[in-house]
Amino acid sequence: MVLFDRGGRSLGGGRDNKGSGNRPFAFFRAGLGRDQAVQNRPILVLEDVFKYHKPDQPTLRGVNLVVERGEFVFITGPSGAGKSTLLDLVYRKQQVDEGRILFSGRDISRLTADSIPYLRRNLGIVFQDFKVIAHWTVFENVAIALEILSMPRRLIRSRVSEALERVGLAGRGEDTTGNLSGGEQQRVAVARAIVTEPALLLADEPTGNLDPHLALDILTLFEEIHATGTTVLFATHDHTLLEERAHRIVYIDDGNVKEARKGLTDWSTMRAAEISASSPGTAAAPRGNVVSLARSR
Amino acid sequence: MDLGQAITRAARGMREEARLHLVAISSLTIAFFCLGATLVAMTNLDRVAARWGETARMTIFLRDGASPQDVTQLRMALEGVQGVATVAYVSSEDARTQFLTDSAGSTGLAAIPADAFPASLEVTLSEGTEHAARIAERVSSFSIVEDVETYQGWFHQLESLMSAGRGAATGLAVLVMLSVLFVVGSTIRLAVTGRRKEIEVMKLCGASDSFVRGPFIVEGAVQGFVSALLAVAMLLALYLGLHDRVDGVFSALAGVRTSFMPPLFALGVLLLGGVIGAAGSAVSLRRYLTV
Repeated sequence: MVLFDRGGRSLGGGRDNKGSGNRPFAFFRAGLGRDQAVQNRPILVLEDVFKYHKPDQPTLRGVNLVVERGEFVFITGPSGAGKSTLLDLVYRKQQVDEGRILFSGRDISRLTADSIPYLRRNLGIVFQDFKVIAHWTVFENVAIALEILSMPRRLIRSRVSEALERVGLAGRGEDTTGNLSGGEQQRVAVARAIVTEPALLLADEPTGNLDPHLALDILTLFEEIHATGTTVLFATHDHTLLEERAHRIVYIDDGNVKEARKGLTDWSTMRAAEISASSPGTAAAPRGNVVSLARSR
Repeated sequence: MDLGQAITRAARGMREEARLHLVAISSLTIAFFCLGATLVAMTNLDRVAARWGETARMTIFLRDGASPQDVTQLRMALEGVQGVATVAYVSSEDARTQFLTDSAGSTGLAAIPADAFPASLEVTLSEGTEHAARIAERVSSFSIVEDVETYQGWFHQLESLMSAGRGAATGLAVLVMLSVLFVVGSTIRLAVTGRRKEIEVMKLCGASDSFVRGPFIVEGAVQGFVSALLAVAMLLALYLGLHDRVDGVFSALAGVRTSFMPPLFALGVLLLGGVIGAAGSAVSLRRYLTV
C-alpha cells in the first residue's frame, strides 16, 4: 500500500516507500509509517453517520461501522438502501450531515475541497458502469491514475503493465477500450483502481452490468487483490455472490446497518438467534433468514 | 499543474475535437484581423502626426510674377522675426519636382505643368506653432503674398481623426477581447461537455482542479494565439500585396510612406490572443469541476 501527498509522492508503505521526510503536506502520513499503533488502527471508521437526502428521511441513520486493515467486506441491502451513499461518503462525493468518518484515523468529513483529491489518491474506486473512456487505449485508461500523481513515464509503463497482468489483460494495453467486452472493461477499471496500490478499494456494484459467470470472475479478481493485503469494500445486491464467499457482510436496510462476520451462514444463525430472542415461542428456520436476505435484493 | 502533461493532453483533446477548434480559430481570426487592421491604421496615422509634428512650419505662397528683389526682401524680413528658424525659397519648378518625387509610382502626374505649382517660401518655426498666427498676419500684408498656409486647421483635423481612431481602436480591442472570451468560452464548454466523462474519471482518481483544468487552458491559449498569429500573418500578406499601389498616393497626400504595425505591437497581439484565450477557458471551466 502506498499513500500519496500533494506532490503525488509516496508517503509510506509499498515498494515505493522511501520514507516521509519533511514534506510540506503529508495528508495521511499519520495513518501509516513506522508507528505500529497507527498501523493497527482500523482503516475506516464510521461513527453515528447520518445522511439526509430529504429532510426527516435519512438515507443513512446513525451508521456505525469499523473496517479493519486487510478486511474484505460485502456491503449489501436492497436497492435504495444506502449502499452507494455509504461509499460516496467515503470518497467524499457526498458529505456526511451528522457523525464522522475516519480514514486511517483522519476525519474525512472535515476535509476541504482542495484536499479531497489527496484522499482519493489513497483509494481505488470501481463502479457498476466501469467509468472507462471508450476511445482511450487500455493503457491510457489505467495510466491516468498514475499521471495524476506525476509519476515518471518509465515507471508508469511498468506499473500499468503489472496492473494489467494482475487483472488478466497482459499485452492488451494498446487495445481500444471501447472494443473490449463488458467483463474486460471492468477489468480495466479494476486495473486503474489498483495501479496506485491504494489503501482501500471501494467497489460499487462492480458486477451489476455483468452476467453471473463474469460477475464471479470479477469477484475472484477482487479477492486476489485482497489477498495481497488491500482492504476491499464491495457493495452488491447480488445474492449469489454472497452465497459464494464467506466474507463479512454489512447489510443496510432503510439506512440502518446489521452485520454478520462470516458470510450468509453466520448471517442466518445470527438472524435466527435474534428472532428466537424476540419471540421465544417461535422456531425460526435459519435458511428462512437467508431467503429473507435474498428477497431483500 | 504539470505543463508537459497538460500540453500532451491538450494536443490529444484538440486532435479529437479538431473540427470544433478549427471553427473557433476561424471566428477568432476574423476578430483579431479587425483589431490588427485598426492597429495598422493607427500606426500610419501616428506616423503622419509625427511627421507633421516634428517641425512646425508654414508655407507662404507667392503671387505669380513676384520679383526676385521683393522675394529677397520678404525673406530677409521673415528671418528677422522672432520664432522663425529657417526660410527657404521653393520655385514653381522645385515644387513640381518635389511633388513628383513624393508621388513616385503614380502615373500621369508627370504631365502637370510647373505653372500649376505656385512658388513659395517654406518657413520653419523654432518655437512650435505658437507664433504661426501672428507671423501669418504680418506677412499677409506684403503685396507679393497670395496666401499663407499655417496648417493649423489640418493639424486640428488630424488630431480629431487621431483621437477618434484611438477611441475606435480601444473600443474594438475591448470588443475583440469580449468576443475572444465568448468564443473560447463556448468552445471550451463544448469540449468539456464532450469530455465530461474523462473529467469525472480524473476527479475520481484524485486529480486536482488544476490537473483537470490545465489542458483546457492550454487549448484556449493555443486557440487565441493561433488565431492572432493567423490574423497578423493575413494582415501582413495583405499589406505587402497592397503596399506598392497605395504607398505613392498616401505619401503624396500625407508626406509619409505607409508602414505595417511595429513588431512589438504584433507580438503584443499574439500574446493578447494567448492570454485572453487562456482566461476565457479558465472562466468557462469553473462550474464543470465538481465531481
